[in-house]
Amino acid sequence: MSNFWRRLWGSTRHFRPALVLVIVLFAVFAATQPAFLGARNLQNLLTAVAVLWIVSIGMTFVTITGGIDLSAGATVALVGIFIGKMVNYTPVPSWVTIILSIVIGVAIGAFLNGVLIGRLGMSFFVVTLATMTALTGVVNLWSNSLTDTVADPAIAWVGVERTLGMPTPIWIMIIVFLIALFVQNRTHFGRDIYAVGGSIAAARLSGIRVERTIMAAYAIVGGCAGLAGVIAVGRIGAATPQVDGDLPLQAAAAVLLGGTALIGGSGGVGGTAVGVLFIGILQNGLSISGVQSYWQQVVTGVILVAAVLGERFQRRGKGTRRWFGELAQMRMKRGGDDAGADGQVGPETSQNAGEQSR
Amino acid sequence: MGSSRGRDGPIRARSESVTHSSPAGPLLQLRDLTKRYGGIHALRGASLTISRPGVVHGLIGENGSGKSTTLGILSGQVMPDSGSIRLEGEAVQFHRPIEAISRGIAMVSQETALALDLSVAENILLGERLVRGGFGINWTATRAKAAEVLARLHLDIDPEEITGALSPDRRQMVEIARALSMDARVLILDEPTSSLTDDQVRVLFATIETLKSQGVSIVFVSHRLGEMFAIVDELTVLRDGQTVAAGPMSEFDVHRIVDEMVGRKGAWAEHEHVERAFDRGRVAPALEIDRLGVPGIIREASFDIAPGEIVGIAGLVGSGRSELLEAIFGARPGVTGEIRIAGESYQPRTPRAAIERRIGYLPPDRKVRGLVLGQSVRENLTMALTAFVGRFAPYRKASTAPVVDAVMGSMRVRAASPDVAVGTLSGGNQQKVALGKWLAVDSQLLLLDEPTRGVDVAAKAEIHGLLREAADRGAALLVSSSENEELIELCDRILVLFRGEIIATIDSTEATEAILGRYTGGHTSE
Repeated sequence: MSNFWRRLWGSTRHFRPALVLVIVLFAVFAATQPAFLGARNLQNLLTAVAVLWIVSIGMTFVTITGGIDLSAGATVALVGIFIGKMVNYTPVPSWVTIILSIVIGVAIGAFLNGVLIGRLGMSFFVVTLATMTALTGVVNLWSNSLTDTVADPAIAWVGVERTLGMPTPIWIMIIVFLIALFVQNRTHFGRDIYAVGGSIAAARLSGIRVERTIMAAYAIVGGCAGLAGVIAVGRIGAATPQVDGDLPLQAAAAVLLGGTALIGGSGGVGGTAVGVLFIGILQNGLSISGVQSYWQQVVTGVILVAAVLGERFQRRGKGTRRWFGELAQMRMKRGGDDAGADGQVGPETSQNAGEQSR
Repeated sequence: MGSSRGRDGPIRARSESVTHSSPAGPLLQLRDLTKRYGGIHALRGASLTISRPGVVHGLIGENGSGKSTTLGILSGQVMPDSGSIRLEGEAVQFHRPIEAISRGIAMVSQETALALDLSVAENILLGERLVRGGFGINWTATRAKAAEVLARLHLDIDPEEITGALSPDRRQMVEIARALSMDARVLILDEPTSSLTDDQVRVLFATIETLKSQGVSIVFVSHRLGEMFAIVDELTVLRDGQTVAAGPMSEFDVHRIVDEMVGRKGAWAEHEHVERAFDRGRVAPALEIDRLGVPGIIREASFDIAPGEIVGIAGLVGSGRSELLEAIFGARPGVTGEIRIAGESYQPRTPRAAIERRIGYLPPDRKVRGLVLGQSVRENLTMALTAFVGRFAPYRKASTAPVVDAVMGSMRVRAASPDVAVGTLSGGNQQKVALGKWLAVDSQLLLLDEPTRGVDVAAKAEIHGLLREAADRGAALLVSSSENEELIELCDRILVLFRGEIIATIDSTEATEAILGRYTGGHTSE
């Protein structure tokens, strides 16, 4: 089974720095804060990042294609308002509402973002910025900028209640993660995403339907945002018109921290989970240490840069190149013909290092 | 899959049997293809016939002759306006690559199309061909299937390796393996050798022979005539979107191919070898390099160049040719050693400093680093002028006119006006503009990396002429090329780099391709 472990280890190559950080951070808080390791605190830690977790996992698929969905926060809010209206003003059963919430997210992802980006080839930044802006407007118009209480047992069950002794959101997090892992590693769609992000030309020549693959990736992040919207409403028991514009950026930070490159074609949800855990542990640990939780943002920003630099350092081999010349070199190297110094090459494992020096 | 039924059943029926020597049933026939892009006729009556399975069909033509469009139509990326495609006698139409692939026509494009972060196995079987198992994709079976394909090509590549860690030639083999894994009967190789060394080309040719013996037909595109004669069985020549000659290779010689490509009798003779008498004499060197080092790449390189001299650098990919030029131009950090320009000491810290010392650098990839494709010829030509007029000096079109006109005139750049985007010009003219940028600032030392990569035979000869003119005006030229043939023809002296060291200096009158081939492989003894 040594092959299995080797492959498992190999699959962590993108997020090893983040993994080490998470373990260290966890150990530090566990050692210094007696309250940290309590079951209740750990559950709080996880439920606090449930929305971020689910959006980030969806975001991972989009990032692998080489994009980011800035509109995810607006979708979460829109779904919230939708739930408020459905639960308070219609007799529709709440489980239908929950399913419709996800459907709305998928529809926004597929038919707004997906069509504009995938089919029409527009820039993901422009498109998702536009949908974010427009949806924020819709949210405020539809809700009259008013917060609506949502007191519905099914929604609350999704957002705060417990199932089998653990908060339901944590179960949802686990299930979403496992499904995502399966989709990413074991389905053709999952692999197509990597191909599209890694080389559109390769994907096309292999008969992959690039447009559909991109649409599906945005549909996934949309659906995840829809689900996250249900959890968000359940957690606070109200539908608010407040759009968390920070959410997609935080999700992007978690995805990048987890080793998925912004240019696409690499990484995965495993790393994203580690990235979200990093943010969650930091937030929780700092607040029970009595430190202002805004420090979490400062630290996340610094660590994000450090992790990406660290990964690059690891991949380049040691000491041969100066750090500050890197940027210039990367620009120079794009499209160059030389072996070796390629900006997108993964870290050299011992087996291929010998191959290259041939 | 979008294919309409053939109208003439009999031919199709006959093709069921093996049609090896039958002249009546070609494997694949493109006939009278036309294609317009806006006002431009990319194709007007291009035809191409592959006679049988297991044949290497060469396709040659100047840039802009319609090669890419023809290949695009064949591989399902471009829809023709009119004309027909017949596969074993059956009329087919491809709307997208997957339809061509499903009929056994696969293409390996010029720019490597690989997802670099994925394993070799996955790149080979990208898309629907990853093996499905009970629990999603079965990776063990997928790896085994990829290993099988690699074995069929006699390639020693680990399917689990990350593709980005492979050298460029091995990446290309992965692409060929991918095409093969699609059960390709017709494999299109678009300039497969343009970034390979001689050794790697030999491996590629061996692979092509293997494929041939397995009944796979190859469409082989290259600018290098030598390769055509080495590997190709039958040839199609395109000019201005039309097929001007086609037939078995035995009917062609160099003269006929070049004449057909250019459309003039005796065109080859004009381009043939120009002898250049250069005498180093006693002039002070324009460039002196003493123990130049680039950490991990180049060790202790020392040489000098006289004004008016053209010095070549030969070497395999990875031998440090490009890095040496970049180091002199100040585009590499950590350079050690001493450089003197016209006797004065010079520190290659930044390209800007180099430009101010009248050094020009032509990168190997004109579309990425050599030019800004979306900008006009004028803007590209005057880009390096900034170093001399000051950053905040106003940019006035009128003031650039004399320089631009002079350069465009002397270089014979064929463009409708200096204000059209460079990207709309042909490859050869683009390369002239990339070179003209340095002539506009009167660079006295030109560092040229693959100055004729991806340009056609005629443009190549023209660029060589321009380089000789520059040398005759007193500029010193340092030329790096993967084509030893080019170095022998162009240069006065050739330095051979092997793993970052200059292991030989050869006078070009004594150099032959055999000698250079041996030296670049690291064999210095007789």
